[in-house]
Amino acid sequence: MRRDWKRSLLCWAALSPVLVLTLFPFAIMLSTALKPTAEVLIYPPRWLPIHWSLHSFVAMWQAVHFGVGLENSLTIGALSTLLVIAVSVPAGYALCRFPFAGRASYRQFLLTTQMLSPVLLVLGLFRLAASIHIDGTTLVDTRLAVIVAYAGFNLAFAIWMLASYFSAVPTELEEAAWIDGCGRLRAIIHIFLPLALPAIAVTAIVTFVACWNEFVVALTLLRSPSKQTVTLQVVNLVAGRYTVEWNQVMAATLAATVPVAALFIWLQRYLVRGLALGGVK
Amino acid sequence: MILPSLALALFIIAYPFADIVNLSLHDVSRFGLLRAFTGLGNFRRILADPSFLVALRNTFMWTAAVVGGTVLVSIPVALVLNTDFHGRGIARGLIMLPWAVSLALATIVWLWAFNGNYGMINALLQRAGLIAHPIQWTAQAITAFPVEIGVGILVSIPFTSTILLGGLSAMPLDIYEAARIDGASPWQQFRSLTLPLLRPFVNIAVVLNVIHVFNSFPIIWIMTEGGPDNSTHILVTYLYELAFRLGRPGEAAAVSLIMLAIVFTFTALYLRMQARETA
Repeated sequence: MRRDWKRSLLCWAALSPVLVLTLFPFAIMLSTALKPTAEVLIYPPRWLPIHWSLHSFVAMWQAVHFGVGLENSLTIGALSTLLVIAVSVPAGYALCRFPFAGRASYRQFLLTTQMLSPVLLVLGLFRLAASIHIDGTTLVDTRLAVIVAYAGFNLAFAIWMLASYFSAVPTELEEAAWIDGCGRLRAIIHIFLPLALPAIAVTAIVTFVACWNEFVVALTLLRSPSKQTVTLQVVNLVAGRYTVEWNQVMAATLAATVPVAALFIWLQRYLVRGLALGGVK
Repeated sequence: MILPSLALALFIIAYPFADIVNLSLHDVSRFGLLRAFTGLGNFRRILADPSFLVALRNTFMWTAAVVGGTVLVSIPVALVLNTDFHGRGIARGLIMLPWAVSLALATIVWLWAFNGNYGMINALLQRAGLIAHPIQWTAQAITAFPVEIGVGILVSIPFTSTILLGGLSAMPLDIYEAARIDGASPWQQFRSLTLPLLRPFVNIAVVLNVIHVFNSFPIIWIMTEGGPDNSTHILVTYLYELAFRLGRPGEAAAVSLIMLAIVFTFTALYLRMQARETA
């Protein structure tokens, strides 16, 4: 297909309604975050601030406990992702390389756990955390509980995605290594893993973003502000309040969103391929 | 090699599931203490609860409207993104952007945009002369629920169009060549080549979206918490309110199980449909 300007213009025009709606929230975030408090609640609202101000970014850092939230989100996201990858790489490898007994039922099991959304089990999760006692307290309101729960719920997707990528790595390379006298484990470490690394990286990032954006489990398990994730801290500024400092809220939302958004744009083409492969096979 | 994954999944999913089954069959105090075995008492009570029935009806409306709207918008979006044009990479990135935003945070932004007094939506509509007075969008069920559905559609578009785009980019180009030589118009090509080839991907997108939207919690919880007057509850938000606000864990467990049954029925139906198609 050839590219020409007329077609390009038409395509952009066709996409414009969706693009406007997509970008609208970002415009709102920026517009509100850059206003001083006095200009947020004026009527009628205006897009551009009269006095530009970065004050809300400074103010929200304290009001939202943003630094603490950031640290919690990063810790929880990173450790859950690590746990997911550590568990799902061997599982994915086994799933696509060994015709072990019960493979079909294992697949079925994964599919089933994939369908169970955390919301449906959140009551049971809460009671599970409350029933485990460590050092005289329960696991409610600990980051550990959230980390393990996230890992459990992201596992099926990770295994599924890894297995579909792994099966695209040719077996012949490993077989050649065995013939040359290389042990099974060494073949995996030196031949297979380097080839599978991009797939593992993509899966890790998708898992991390899912943990970063999760809401219900964190809402239920994390009570004290010193342990809550960024998302929860921001929601707390809005939910059940009579006066909301919208410029601070929007500044915090923007700050919590932009890094993940950048990651996603970079990942976009890998995702298109991965989902297409995994979804239909 | 699959043992660690099995252990983790069983611990996080099977144990809570068994606990919920157990809860649903007992009379449970608001602090979670099991009292008497009541059999199906919790289920009977929940089925007689008018708020539950409203939530059930809302859930079906919510799922059908969001999934239907999303797929209808995503098909043309994916088709356009699959044609070769200047700046396609940028356009793809922009369309995918909302995917990266957490649902909770996106909802907060829309909540502010739909703010009755200072929100930008009212200002834009008034400036365009479409409404005379500001509308209190989230304060009344008649506007709140459609607003929530709209937000639901918007946040589901990136994922759905990505799946469809994946399907489109895997299509063989030579059959289009052949069709063009045989004199097929672009519309005919779309009807008899693109649509049938896209079918499996549309199916996947519908199934994944139905499961996801049916269980979607943050939009409604943050915008209206099921209010005003329980009118915008869907099953998940009602379940959460029963469990953690109203102190009725036994009934909440019953709602969980009813929802699980609905999800499983839907998936089983889908799997059978798919099996028949490939047979």
